[in-house]
Amino acid sequence: MKFEDSHLSDQQLLLDIETELTTHDEKPVHDHLEKCWKCRTRRQELESAIAGFVRAQQQEFDSKIPPAAGPRAMLKAQLAQVSVSEPNSLLSWHGLDRRFAWALAGTICGLIAVISFVVHPSQTPQRTPVVSVPDSRLTPGAALLLNRQMVCAGTNTKNKAVPVALQRKVFEEYGIVGEPRAYEVDYLITPALGGADDIHNLWPHSYSATVWNARVKDALEDRLREMVCDGSLDLAEAQRDIATNWIAAYKKYFHTDEPLLAHRSGERIQ
Amino acid sequence: MSSPDSSILPVLRTASETGHSRERLQSEVVALFDQFREPLLRYLASLGLAFADGEEVLQEVFLALFQHLDGGKSRENLRGWLFRVAHNLALKRRYRTRQDFAARAAPGVEDAVVEPGPNPEDQLLRIQTRERLMAVVKALPEQDRECLFLRAEGLRYREIAGILDMSLGAVSLSLARSLARIARSAER
Repeated sequence: MKFEDSHLSDQQLLLDIETELTTHDEKPVHDHLEKCWKCRTRRQELESAIAGFVRAQQQEFDSKIPPAAGPRAMLKAQLAQVSVSEPNSLLSWHGLDRRFAWALAGTICGLIAVISFVVHPSQTPQRTPVVSVPDSRLTPGAALLLNRQMVCAGTNTKNKAVPVALQRKVFEEYGIVGEPRAYEVDYLITPALGGADDIHNLWPHSYSATVWNARVKDALEDRLREMVCDGSLDLAEAQRDIATNWIAAYKKYFHTDEPLLAHRSGERIQ
Repeated sequence: MSSPDSSILPVLRTASETGHSRERLQSEVVALFDQFREPLLRYLASLGLAFADGEEVLQEVFLALFQHLDGGKSRENLRGWLFRVAHNLALKRRYRTRQDFAARAAPGVEDAVVEPGPNPEDQLLRIQTRERLMAVVKALPEQDRECLFLRAEGLRYREIAGILDMSLGAVSLSLARSLARIARSAER
């Protein structure tokens, strides 16, 4: 590249400023700049333009950027929620546009409502969703700060009753209307494993609409507590497994792909 | 109870390890959020997104980053990855909300940031210079503007080329063209 008779272009000067010149072009450009006042002046003008733009951009935006604390906290909460969900769930929020997901969910609900109205026209249409696993956005699970000794010191492993007002809130959140006798408002992490008495740890679990019903989960809770208390399972791991996907946890700890018959009918294991 | 079935022990260990690595990953993503939030927000604002919309886009970007890393995908040039994903999501959002950079109201006097200066004349001059310069920037073709703002956030030519799907030569030409216009406006 020779620039003895011509000047450097703005593009070449900028590449030099930015140290983006190829090694092949570097020497002839620098040789020319050493000799040419005009090109050196133009180079400075371009540098001044960069400085002016950076200053203007900072003044335009920097003072208006809102504080980071709120968005940061929101991100942390969302990450915590994503972390306890299935890694490759079909309706992952990343993989599927949120609005599309909501639209799809709405369409499916609408179709179910229309079909049930056509099949049972005399009945009042009512939303009775089958709930076998909690919605991780509504029920991510919540645990108290208890250690194994504290958890295992309790002798009463029966879940305490959830107040009616709180039950109503849970049904509202899940869009269950009418008299929801088909559900038990269940703790995701059972209090017998340190689960908290909190709406984020509660969900409406179908008694009978699916084989993976509340009675089956009760059996899993008993099993996990036994394992935690005899030292064969870490408490935090038991809490994480049941909160992440209790059905997968059941399969893992009972070594079966289907609920055992005794558990479906509500018999406790001995 | 008898000792636990030995066949499940490896599974338990793996689950525990996964939990811990996900916690580490969460911390890493939050640290990257702290590092890149402001540059990304400025860039999204330059695309015409209000800060509130920009914040929502960033939540999606960093959740996507978590899943990207959780899936064991490439960690090479995460800054470039963040800007590329933010750019694409911002364009989608802008299309949805029908926001247009050109349609944005120019900052009025009430929006003007008044810096401490020696006297009101100097302050006014600075504001006028800035407004003139930003008017030139806003009048640039969209791709030139995107190149300029990405470069201002420290991205190298190769990264910009990757984000905007342009050749290296086109990036360098675009930046030279934009800076020449800015330099001309400063001469006036």
